[in-house]
Amino acid sequence: MLRRRAVAVVALAVLAVGRATAHGGSLAQDIREPLTIPTWLFLSTGGAAVGASFLLASFVTDRELIDAIHDWRRGAAVPGRRVAVGLLRAAGIAGVALVVVVGYFGPTDARSNAAILLVWVGWWAGLSMSAYLLGNSWSVLNPWRTVAELLPALDLRYPDRLGAWPSVVGLLALVYLEVVSPLAENASLLATTVVAYSAVTLIGAVAFGPSTWFGQVDPPARVFRYYGRVAPLSSDGDGLTLRLPGMALSERRLVDGRDEVAFVLALLWVTTFDGFVSTPAWRGLAGPFVGLGIPPLGVYLLALLLGFGLFWSLYVLAARLSRSTAETFLTPAALAARFAPPLLAIVAGYHFAHYLDYFLGLAPALGQTLAAPLTARSTVLVLSMPGWFGGVAMASIIVGHLLAIWVAHAAAYDLFPGRLQAIRSQYPFIAVMVVYTMTSLWVISQPDIPLPYL
Amino acid sequence: MNEDYHVPTSAPLYECEYCGRPFARERFRALHRGLEHASELDDEEVERFRDAYREEEESIGMFRLKALAALVVVYFGLLMIYAVV
Repeated sequence: MLRRRAVAVVALAVLAVGRATAHGGSLAQDIREPLTIPTWLFLSTGGAAVGASFLLASFVTDRELIDAIHDWRRGAAVPGRRVAVGLLRAAGIAGVALVVVVGYFGPTDARSNAAILLVWVGWWAGLSMSAYLLGNSWSVLNPWRTVAELLPALDLRYPDRLGAWPSVVGLLALVYLEVVSPLAENASLLATTVVAYSAVTLIGAVAFGPSTWFGQVDPPARVFRYYGRVAPLSSDGDGLTLRLPGMALSERRLVDGRDEVAFVLALLWVTTFDGFVSTPAWRGLAGPFVGLGIPPLGVYLLALLLGFGLFWSLYVLAARLSRSTAETFLTPAALAARFAPPLLAIVAGYHFAHYLDYFLGLAPALGQTLAAPLTARSTVLVLSMPGWFGGVAMASIIVGHLLAIWVAHAAAYDLFPGRLQAIRSQYPFIAVMVVYTMTSLWVISQPDIPLPYL
Repeated sequence: MNEDYHVPTSAPLYECEYCGRPFARERFRALHRGLEHASELDDEEVERFRDAYREEEESIGMFRLKALAALVVVYFGLLMIYAVV
């Protein structure tokens, strides 16, 4: 259970900070410890922290100051750019080849299999972190894109009304697969999944052209692109631009239309869902449905879809209410699109909290197995993090929220002529953010159990 | 840009003469003109922008007091709950 461990780590992390007594528990242990303060107080404190940050942000009403912070940027040309791009592309292709070969022919133990470590530790944890902390390199690394650009494209017309919907469905499908199947333990299953994904992706990219496919349909490409918007570095053709982290999220037209809003909400929901299905509450909730004879896989799917629907409708409701609190004629859809990008900062904060310890702990094992990928070994190097490390995870959740609130504040100032009107427009969105935060905190305050009924 | 707006037929409407954006209050339109079309305005419109801005400044002062009060309540409220629990 490589991935489940990460959730337990966050629980300990939050506990370590969320209570007054010193917490010296080992981060490597596999169970969540019970809270010493009542759960309702723990959740209220988290919610109050979000609300208080909004009140603090509302003290900044100087448009020029906000613009100056958001417009600050430095550009630099990158020497040897073509060589760097070529090397990254080669590395991407070598990576996917390694995952397939080692997946089928490498060691069967998950912890010493380079394919599993490369996908979950290197890519899903490490590369995602680099995407929101530094900048999105997946657009260059993406091996399928590199191959697809060499293939002839049929350039079929992509139906505009589909928009980003296929990537919403794809993201939910990939996360469902990741939760219900042993993709993090069974290397040959992982390799088969990668082969199947490669086939679908290459056929799609040839049919509609790489830029349409990776711009609209491919879920990982969209995830990394959205993460990249949180990061300080972005590429502008022949050089790099440095901005303050998250500032690109306040720009107009970053998220356009209902479909792209749905994708942001799906990304936010799946980070919660991942932890929710390993709580006793989920076992209690799913029990009666399984008892009725519904297959457990169906119950998991239902929960994934219903939860997404709930997160999404709450957000749409907030956008509707915002129309009246801000006294504006902007449509709820326009408001929803304008205030969705800040949620990406929250997603990045949660991701960092979930995966930092997991990534650092297993990175030595990744290096070790990559050096000799086909060698079976009984032990691998695993780093154990010191106790104070939990504070870093909790801090990242808070930083994610602070950034989201600030960026939404700036976007509101850009959108509305009245300064108080801009602040009022945020009331419903802040209420929804409080709900999201409390939900996530509740999930990580629950004991961690193996996935029930699977 | 205009597909982003929906104006109910019964609502009072103040449209910006320069870009056509609809606003629900005269004050919002005056502020919008000053922020987006500053170089095109005549003296009267500039005066109206200044009035709206000053008026807003006063309500922001009031809002800040309320926000500060809310922060104090949240902070000391939690502090006391933590002392009791």
